[in-house]
Amino acid sequence: MKLATLAVAAASALSISSFSAKVHAADETVRDIHPRLRLPWLILQALPSPGMAIGERGVHGTMSWQVTPLLYSWAMDKRLSPWRTFVVEPLVRQSGSVELFLSPEYLGRGQAEYNWGFRAGVRAYFPITERGDGLSWSLGASAIWFLDEPGASFDAGIYTLFGSLGFLVSVSPWLSDNLVQTSLRVRFF
Amino acid sequence: MKLRSWTVGGAALFLAGCAQLSLGARFLGGSIDSLGRSTRPPAQKLEDPVRPEARLAALWVGHATVLVQMDDKFILTDPVFTHTVGNVSARLVEPGLDPQNLPQLDAVLISHLHFDHLSLGSLDMLQDKPKALFVPEGGLVYVPSSNVPPIELSTWEVYEKDGLRITATPVEHVGFRYGGDVSWMTKSFTGYVVEYNGQTLYFGGDTAHSEWMFHATGRRFPRIDLALLPIAPIHPREFMCKTHVDPAEALDLFHDLGARYMMAIHYDTFFNSLDDFGEAPRTLRTLLPARGLTEQDVAILQQGEQRVFVHK
Repeated sequence: MKLATLAVAAASALSISSFSAKVHAADETVRDIHPRLRLPWLILQALPSPGMAIGERGVHGTMSWQVTPLLYSWAMDKRLSPWRTFVVEPLVRQSGSVELFLSPEYLGRGQAEYNWGFRAGVRAYFPITERGDGLSWSLGASAIWFLDEPGASFDAGIYTLFGSLGFLVSVSPWLSDNLVQTSLRVRFF
Repeated sequence: MKLRSWTVGGAALFLAGCAQLSLGARFLGGSIDSLGRSTRPPAQKLEDPVRPEARLAALWVGHATVLVQMDDKFILTDPVFTHTVGNVSARLVEPGLDPQNLPQLDAVLISHLHFDHLSLGSLDMLQDKPKALFVPEGGLVYVPSSNVPPIELSTWEVYEKDGLRITATPVEHVGFRYGGDVSWMTKSFTGYVVEYNGQTLYFGGDTAHSEWMFHATGRRFPRIDLALLPIAPIHPREFMCKTHVDPAEALDLFHDLGARYMMAIHYDTFFNSLDDFGEAPRTLRTLLPARGLTEQDVAILQQGEQRVFVHK
C-alpha cells in the first residue's frame, strides 16, 4: 500500500517537473463515458413494479418489469452520444428522451393461462423540475398481448427522485376487457 | 471447530449488518426530521455583493457555494440555492445570497456530481449570468444542454481566457451521482485553482486527506492567496474519512497547500451527516491556537457573511 502511494507521489512529482500547460478551448476534449452493465444492475432490474389492473373481469394485483433496448436523448450535451442501450443514467432518461421498451407483466387472475401479458412500445420523457431529477412526466404507446388477444395501450406517468419512483396509468381501450392499469414504477437505471 | 467459526463469523456479520442498518436508520430519521423543520435565516443577505475596494473577497452563500471576487472577475463555486438536495436532504439555513443578486459570473466551478454540489435547479436559477461553466472529467453527461456549454477539465488541465486561468487539481473523492453509476463514473471529481491578476484562489470541493495531492498542488501553485476548504461532514468518521476531511485534516490541507488564508466551507447548511449543528466550526476554532493560527488566517463565516481578504 505504502509502495503504491510512493509510486503515485513519484509520478506526480515527475508530472510537475515536466509540466507544460495544456490549454484548450471550450468545445474540445470531451469524455463520452457510457454506462456499463453490471451484476447489481441486473439484480435491481428483477425488482417488479407493483400495480393494479381494473377491467370487466374485476380488479387484480399486477407486477411488471421493463427493459430498454434503445433510448435516444434529445436533452444531453450535443457533444456526447445521445444513444443508450439497456443501462440508462436517470438524468439521461428523465431530462428528455424517447425509449423503446419491452415489458413482461403478471396479472394475478388466478387462471394460469390468463396471468401473463407482454407489451412493447415507445415512451417519451419530459422534465418538470431540476431537469427531470426532481420531477418529470411521460407519454407512451405500446402494442400489448393480454389474455391471448393483441391490442394497443396508451400510458402517462409522473416520476420523482430522479425517476426512481413514479406512477403510471395505462389504458387499453380495444381489449375486450377494457383494461385500465395503474402501477407504482420502481426503477433504477 | 468449523461449526464454531461459522457461528462466530455469522454473528459478526449479523452485528455488522445491524450496525449498518442502525446507521442508515439514523440518517433517514434525521433527514425526515430536517425536512419537517423550518429553515433558519442566514446571518446576512447582501443585495449588492460587489466590493469595489476589494482585490480578493469571498461571500459564503452556504455549503460549498462561495462567490469569490478577484478584482473585476467573479467566480461562483458549486452553486446550490434549492430548498433540498436530491429531494431528500433538507436545507438547514437559507442561502446567504439570492441568485438574482449575483453579478455576471466569469466562471462557475462544479467540483463533482453529487446533488449538494451539482444542482441542476440551481444552475437554471443562474439564468444567463455564467460566462463559463466548468465540470470535472466525465461530468458533461450530467449537465443537460444549456446556453453555456460546460467545459470539462481533467486533472492538471488548464483553461485560459481574458487573463483568467483555471486549472483542475487532484482531490480524493468519488465521481458518481446516483450510486448505480459508481462502476463507470470513477474520475468525475476535482479541485480548482483560479489565477487572475496576480491573485490565486484554491477551491477544494469535497475531499479526503491525501498528503501527496495537496503537496503537489502547493508546489505547482506556491502562492495561493485563499483556499476554500471543506471541514465537514465529520460523523460517522469511519465512514466519512474516506471521502471527507474533518476540521483537523482541513488544517493539514491548508498547511500542505501553503496558502495564505483559508476559508472553511461545507458545514451547517444541509442535513448530510450525523454532526451536531455548529460542531464543525466549533471544533475548528478550538484547533486554531495549537497550530499558531487565528481567525484572521482561517475565516469561519456564517451564511451570507463576506470577507475582504486583500484590499486594493
